[in-house]
Amino acid sequence: MSTAFAATGTVPALEAVGISKHFDGVFALNGAQLSVRPGEIHALLGENGAGKSTLVKVLTGVHTPDSGRILRSGEEVEFANVRVAHHAGIVALYQELSIIPTISVAENILLGEQTPSRGGVVQWSRLRRRAQEQLDKLHQKIPLRQLAGELSPVQQTMVSFARALANDAQVLILDEPTASLTDTEITELFAVLRSLRASGVAIVYVSHRLEEVFELCDRITIMRNGETVLTKDVADSTIDEVISTMVGRSPGELFPDRGTATSTVALTVEGLSGRRVQDVSFTAHRGEVLGIGGLAGSGRSELLRILAGAQKHVSGTITVGETRLPHSAGVARTLDAGMALVPEERRSQGVILSATIQDNIALANIATVSALGMVSGGRIADITRRGMADLQVKARSPHQPVGELSGGNQQKVVLAKMLARNPAVLLMDEPTRGIDVGTKAEIYRLIRRLAATGTTVIAVSSELPELIGMSDRVLIMHEGRISGEARSEDADEELLLAYCYGKAVS
Amino acid sequence: MTTTTTPPTAAEVPVQKRTSIGKFLVQGGTTIALIALVLFFFAMRPDVFLTFTNVRNILFQVSILAIISGAQTLVMVVGDFDLSLAATSSLAGSVAASLMLDGTSTLPAILVALVVGLGVGLANGFLVAYVGLSAFVATLATMTSVTGLAYLVTEGTTLFDLPAGFDSLGQGRVLNIPVPVYIAIGLSVVLWGLLRFTTTGRKWYAIGGNVEVSRLSGINVQRGRLLAFTAAGLISAVGGILLAARLGSASAVQGSDNLLFSVAAVFLGMTVIRSGRANLVGTMVGVAIIGVMSNGLNILGVNSYVQQVVTGLIIIAAVTLSSVRTRER
Repeated sequence: MSTAFAATGTVPALEAVGISKHFDGVFALNGAQLSVRPGEIHALLGENGAGKSTLVKVLTGVHTPDSGRILRSGEEVEFANVRVAHHAGIVALYQELSIIPTISVAENILLGEQTPSRGGVVQWSRLRRRAQEQLDKLHQKIPLRQLAGELSPVQQTMVSFARALANDAQVLILDEPTASLTDTEITELFAVLRSLRASGVAIVYVSHRLEEVFELCDRITIMRNGETVLTKDVADSTIDEVISTMVGRSPGELFPDRGTATSTVALTVEGLSGRRVQDVSFTAHRGEVLGIGGLAGSGRSELLRILAGAQKHVSGTITVGETRLPHSAGVARTLDAGMALVPEERRSQGVILSATIQDNIALANIATVSALGMVSGGRIADITRRGMADLQVKARSPHQPVGELSGGNQQKVVLAKMLARNPAVLLMDEPTRGIDVGTKAEIYRLIRRLAATGTTVIAVSSELPELIGMSDRVLIMHEGRISGEARSEDADEELLLAYCYGKAVS
Repeated sequence: MTTTTTPPTAAEVPVQKRTSIGKFLVQGGTTIALIALVLFFFAMRPDVFLTFTNVRNILFQVSILAIISGAQTLVMVVGDFDLSLAATSSLAGSVAASLMLDGTSTLPAILVALVVGLGVGLANGFLVAYVGLSAFVATLATMTSVTGLAYLVTEGTTLFDLPAGFDSLGQGRVLNIPVPVYIAIGLSVVLWGLLRFTTTGRKWYAIGGNVEVSRLSGINVQRGRLLAFTAAGLISAVGGILLAARLGSASAVQGSDNLLFSVAAVFLGMTVIRSGRANLVGTMVGVAIIGVMSNGLNILGVNSYVQQVVTGLIIIAAVTLSSVRTRER
């Protein structure tokens, strides 16, 4: 039922023309376009980093664009902040920011300025009546006095819709609204979205779930590298066309040669299950770079955290070399067994920003640098000097706080810290996130150099070209399971993306 | 749909989930603990504990704590807390006493003391909401300075020989019930109404629940927090003035016990209702637990240091139970 309901020839409810925005000299948006008509559901698609969320933030007043125009019902507008955009009827709903859990449903729907009051006193009966009116528009039966925090995820979403309606929102921007919903809840959500569309609301639907997009949406806009590359009716498109349009770029010559893998098994994982991870089994070899991919929420990061001992698992075994780790061994014992993690959130999980390079490196190597419970300054200086030279960390001195270094150099410190332990298996989550292209190439060479000395590197990445380019072999996860495996020389982005969406490929 | 409005207790909100006995025990745990304490002390000393004189004693003893805890509740509703409230109350009591000893008449002295409390609250609110300091740092700093000011005002001594009219505020009785009890009950009802019925109170709850959603819904978050701290400063001054009147004297640290006990009372109160947020009825249950325990242990002849140990243990038990409950969701 995704016929083009939108009447052609109407003025777009919201239009973005030639929007550019850069951060630290890097373009996040480069002349992006988007035009949403009243009474349509418009999908906004693109790979991670294509610029979707930056565009949404520009449209909702979070970011001010460097150049370009925003038109609301044909009139040019400027959004100084989120509240201004709100008043213009543009509301973005993020799952985690949708409700206030500790107050009632009715109060959630009519928050702040919307709360009916006389002389500073809340008029409860009017409040409940008006809240009920909003819920009736959505055909929802939610007890008004219930605490919003006790509702199911879909009911919470409905409450935030009801609030948007109470605020007279004409453009709703939804970011992955189905991420935590069950199939029946998704059906219910879609019914509500269709009735909102019928009442003339314009809906921008950001999602990675292409099947849903094709079921629900009227038109799609695809972004790549900060540009809008395609806008078209869903009825005239196919999933395959969308995937190849989203990919469409070449990996370049960032990546060093492969071919250091041996046949000696370094890590065996059997039947691993835990939060977001279901029955995962694989082996990795000495000298191999194994890439793990998948969409956000597919369980790829959780898998890595379980391997590192940072997250508990329910069942399954992990064997490093010949040593079988005890169940949920914990980080310290996993490290001792020779498996170390370089986490995704470098600034919050990888380094202590206010501490010096030397102290950060010493932290993960306390046993190596101390004797009889006393820390040896000489040994710390030794391993720091070696680590910084090895990885070519650019810093004034070992005593410089890590927070003053560039992203790439911070990442090198994290690596130096872990490499000082000579891990047999190095786990890396998004090894090049937030790093400029030059340093990226350096990190790739380093990964390969480690592999050449017999280390096994297991790296999670959300960027498909990176996965293919740096790995010998790639595993793709979908909803907690491994949905596909390919040798890098046989893999292309289309194949991997299909695995990411859980599409069986014959 | 009725228009009657009752406090948002567990009983009012329609319960969709099945309530098991275990859940009931956890949910009603704090209130049950209060009842159990009362029964226990009654059983131990039936001749003393529930007599009119002793109940009046308990009420008299907790009236100041009730006022300070009410102030703390406001700040905790917006998601902050205030370490300086007890110090502020001592300062207010000292200022009033010092002015009266210098010949100022009672009413103006009280008014000045109230303004001092308001000022400290305003300063806290400004530091937290507009300068962006954490409530911990800001109120710890003002607590230190305010205590210093109180020492300056009292010149490090205890001020006594206060006017009889002032003392009667704290020591007088109406219908055989001490005046501070009326004031504590009156203030509590006012604060309860403020939190329950006014847009200000509801905005405070929204801010305490989720700052970002509140801001996007047009609530002035900064002003809300400023207002909560200011009101709390003013109310704690009331408590400090009453304490000085009750004791007939003022010193720089005479209210300092009330800091920890007020936070404890609010924490206990948060375990009384399902949403786990600060609320005035719950706070008063918390105050009652602290008061009953202290009085009961006194009657049994237990040393007051032991009482303090037991109070800490009760807080740990109550908050652990409530966090178990939150995790279940």
